[in-house]
Amino acid sequence: MAKAADLLQGTLDLLILRTVELRALHGVGIADRIEQVTQGVFVVGPGSLFPALHRLADKGWIEGEWGELESGRRAKFYAITPAGRKHLTEEKRKWNRVSFAVNQVLAEEA
Amino acid sequence: MNWKRLYQRWRHPRRDEDELAEEVQTFYDTVKDRRVAEGLAPEEAHRRTQAAYGQPAYTIEEVRNARAEAFVMTAFRDLRYSFRLLVKNPGFAAVAVLSLALGIGANTAIYSFMESILLRSLPVEDPESLVVFNWQSRMPQEADKKFVHVVHKIEGRFWPGDKGVIATGIFPYGAFEMLSEENPYFSTMFGYFSGRSRNLVVRGEARSASAEYVSGGYFAGLAVRPVAGRLIEAADDRVGAAPVAVISFVTSQQRFGGAPQAVGQEVLVDNVAFTVVGVAPPEFFGVDPEENPDIYLPLRTNLLLDKADTKGMYSDDNFYWLEVMGRLRPGVSMAEAQAGLSPRFRQWVAATAMTDGERAKLPELTLNPGAAGLGTLRRQYSKPLFVLLAMVGLILAITCANIANLLLARGAARRREMAVRLSLGAGRFRVVRQLLTESVMLALLGGALGVAFAVWGMRWLTVLFASGRENFTLRAELNWKVLAATALLSVICGVVFGLIPALQTTRQELTSALKNGLGGGARHGMQKVLVVGQIAASFLILVAAGLFVQTLDKLHSMQLGYARENILLFSLDARQSGHEGAAIGTFYANLQKRFEGIPGVNSASLAQSSIVSAGHAGATYRGEILAGTVPVTGASVMVAGPRYLETMQIPVLTGREVDDRDQASSSAVAVISERFARTYFPNESPVGRSIRFVGENRDLEIVGVSANLQHGGLKSESPMVVFVAASQMPLERVTYALRTTGDPLTYVHSVQEIVREADSRIPITNVVTQAAEIDRTISREITFAKLCTGFAVLALLIACVGLYGTMAYGVEREVREIGVRMALGAQRSAVVWMVLRRALVLAAIGLAISIPASLVAFRIVKSLLFETQPNDPVTLAVAGMVLVGAALIAGYVPARRASRIDPLVALRYE
Repeated sequence: MAKAADLLQGTLDLLILRTVELRALHGVGIADRIEQVTQGVFVVGPGSLFPALHRLADKGWIEGEWGELESGRRAKFYAITPAGRKHLTEEKRKWNRVSFAVNQVLAEEA
Repeated sequence: MNWKRLYQRWRHPRRDEDELAEEVQTFYDTVKDRRVAEGLAPEEAHRRTQAAYGQPAYTIEEVRNARAEAFVMTAFRDLRYSFRLLVKNPGFAAVAVLSLALGIGANTAIYSFMESILLRSLPVEDPESLVVFNWQSRMPQEADKKFVHVVHKIEGRFWPGDKGVIATGIFPYGAFEMLSEENPYFSTMFGYFSGRSRNLVVRGEARSASAEYVSGGYFAGLAVRPVAGRLIEAADDRVGAAPVAVISFVTSQQRFGGAPQAVGQEVLVDNVAFTVVGVAPPEFFGVDPEENPDIYLPLRTNLLLDKADTKGMYSDDNFYWLEVMGRLRPGVSMAEAQAGLSPRFRQWVAATAMTDGERAKLPELTLNPGAAGLGTLRRQYSKPLFVLLAMVGLILAITCANIANLLLARGAARRREMAVRLSLGAGRFRVVRQLLTESVMLALLGGALGVAFAVWGMRWLTVLFASGRENFTLRAELNWKVLAATALLSVICGVVFGLIPALQTTRQELTSALKNGLGGGARHGMQKVLVVGQIAASFLILVAAGLFVQTLDKLHSMQLGYARENILLFSLDARQSGHEGAAIGTFYANLQKRFEGIPGVNSASLAQSSIVSAGHAGATYRGEILAGTVPVTGASVMVAGPRYLETMQIPVLTGREVDDRDQASSSAVAVISERFARTYFPNESPVGRSIRFVGENRDLEIVGVSANLQHGGLKSESPMVVFVAASQMPLERVTYALRTTGDPLTYVHSVQEIVREADSRIPITNVVTQAAEIDRTISREITFAKLCTGFAVLALLIACVGLYGTMAYGVEREVREIGVRMALGAQRSAVVWMVLRRALVLAAIGLAISIPASLVAFRIVKSLLFETQPNDPVTLAVAGMVLVGAALIAGYVPARRASRIDPLVALRYE
């Protein structure tokens, strides 16, 4: 499990940042949203989600705020910070370049 | 990085823990709620959530590991765990830390000396741009030993360069002027030369002080700023300028009570009045760490102080005396400067050559980095220090091997623990890291304690190196560089001795380890390899110790030909206090009479220096001598007062020695040594014949023949000796010798009283016993012999502990097997021999490796030995025997234990 998370660490960070870019979300919310948007390709468990969230928070890219769920439980809602937004823009550009390049190669082979 | 977040977490760890737990729990609960809402029973929902995601505790642990401070926190936890383990095993911890402290301490002490001698920069601005001027040329001696060289006269030092080359840093004044001319390479150039020891009178109190003559650009070129007053400037270094002096900070403190008080004061330097204009900063020691002058004088004041000796210094282009340094212009490299100035120097020096022979071996300019100052100490100590560093390095290696061995043995005990941790899913890296943390912590503790040992060792080393020398300036200190090196060394040691056991302990078949916790042949093999290495290294150190002890023994047992014990030596110089001409001789003669009158003094006399330093010290005749018409080669002239031979207990073979009959007005006499007599008067008695001092145009009648003696240093070949009467020679500084009853040093007070009564302006210098004076010339050999013996004992001890540990561990592993053997009727002696044989095999393998290694390695120390060959078979044999003996002792204890094994108990084991 740890290995898979390592492999996808950069990608997971990118997905989380993108997910909380528009509005603050809590753990389950983020996991749901990622699953939903990627149409089930990425299913994120707490074992990789929470480490990623805390890593991003330590870096200052997202910030957590306690809030209440409909069930009455307390949950931490994460929102992107200005620094995180900057990083996301950067990462998006990199990602686009890489995926474009990889697609070019794959298209050529086909 | 969100530092505030990290800080909050650090400040309120409990709150962080709770919040993290709540955050994760909410996730699990929400998912569970959703499953319940889908129609599952709450227990089933709970079970499925856990099955999908693992325990919440697992997630929490993952979060901790992902956090920024995780690395530090883990290290911290490892440290705490390691510390607890160490406290649980205080015996192991004490042995490991103590032996490491010894090893690291020795390394730190030696390294601090290297740092202060070899690596430290001059305490001046931008030392990297300073360059020392040297030159080298082929040897001046022709095949027929005649001296042919463009250097006609020197005042200063030469040293052997590479392969048949001489090198030096002294130049004629004309060359300095030529080099100082505006050039694109150097912004400033300055010269200096040793002013030797002077009589410095401050407020009527006379004391000896070391002086340095410096050119007007010296302080400006070095960019040194005064702490009081001003420093010597170009205007001070002119003929006819008012004599001024700059004193060292220490001198200002000792003689004037502070730097500001010294400025403007009148002082007498060898009875010539100088005005102190300023004080150099405390950290400044001149350009040569060995010189460390007390007083700096403008170059040209040597005309006032040294009068006749300075003849030609500023006009003779074949008179080499001035040392030169320069400061490179920004952006100019030393190689560029050398390429640019070499042709100029070659051209200049070629014009000073007078014959073809001289032209054939002209000096070639070589530039050297000046950042560390001049290399006197460096040339003298660099090789010894490297040898010492190699030895303490070996000792540290032995220590590391030892601790690795201990850890291996302990690793065996912890196999179960490791196996459990690994089987529970801990990564091997994680476990290795934990083990390494333990060993590095051990090493750091050892290093910290080692620094304490080093402080103590440095004091001891300073005493050893100085060996009684006055104003020994070398002060090794623990600065941050040395401490950083020590810390680094400790960490490296920790990793080195920790890595092998850590890898060994974690590489195991889980099941077998879990089952019984025994076995592990590879690990025992590694232990043996380590022990063999230790034995090999110990042997090298033993041989080194043997060689140096033998060298010292050879030096000590040498036939001196004169008395070593019960002689007091001291020097004084009446000329420096204003006595002149013939009055000096009378003054000295009167003093001799009074010394002879001290109760307990059997005999007193004087010479131009002590015999052991007579090769290079003191004013004497050093020119050409003729025996009849034959030129004498290989003879030295010793200026001696009446009854000198009696005082020194040198036997007179025929005739008489110099005595009170020989006055300035009577005919000149000489006493020659036996070898001189045999060589130049082979078939006749030399008494009544004469020899001629060509340079003084004087004939001396030979009145006696003395026995041979070792004139000059112990390691050099002794020349033949000619004793001449002090009353018939111009005298400067003399060295008195008193043969005393009992400890010579108890007479010092009486001597001082007598000199003070005679002339209070004259300081007594170099008060020392003959034995100490001789030992001073072989201080390096003494230091080496003592240090190496200490090192050898240390290395042997550590290696024996290692051997013992390995043997004991081996016996423990084979308790059952030995028990079976004994049950089957093996004799106790056979068991003892079995274990001893193993120890001996290890020792033999170690020897087989290190004997050839020592033959190669010790070639480099040949120059440090005296009448001892690096491959001396006796030393090798003794070292080998000592080692085998130590191995037997180390092996005997476990062997005896093995022989006491009770077969019944052993077989019941497990």
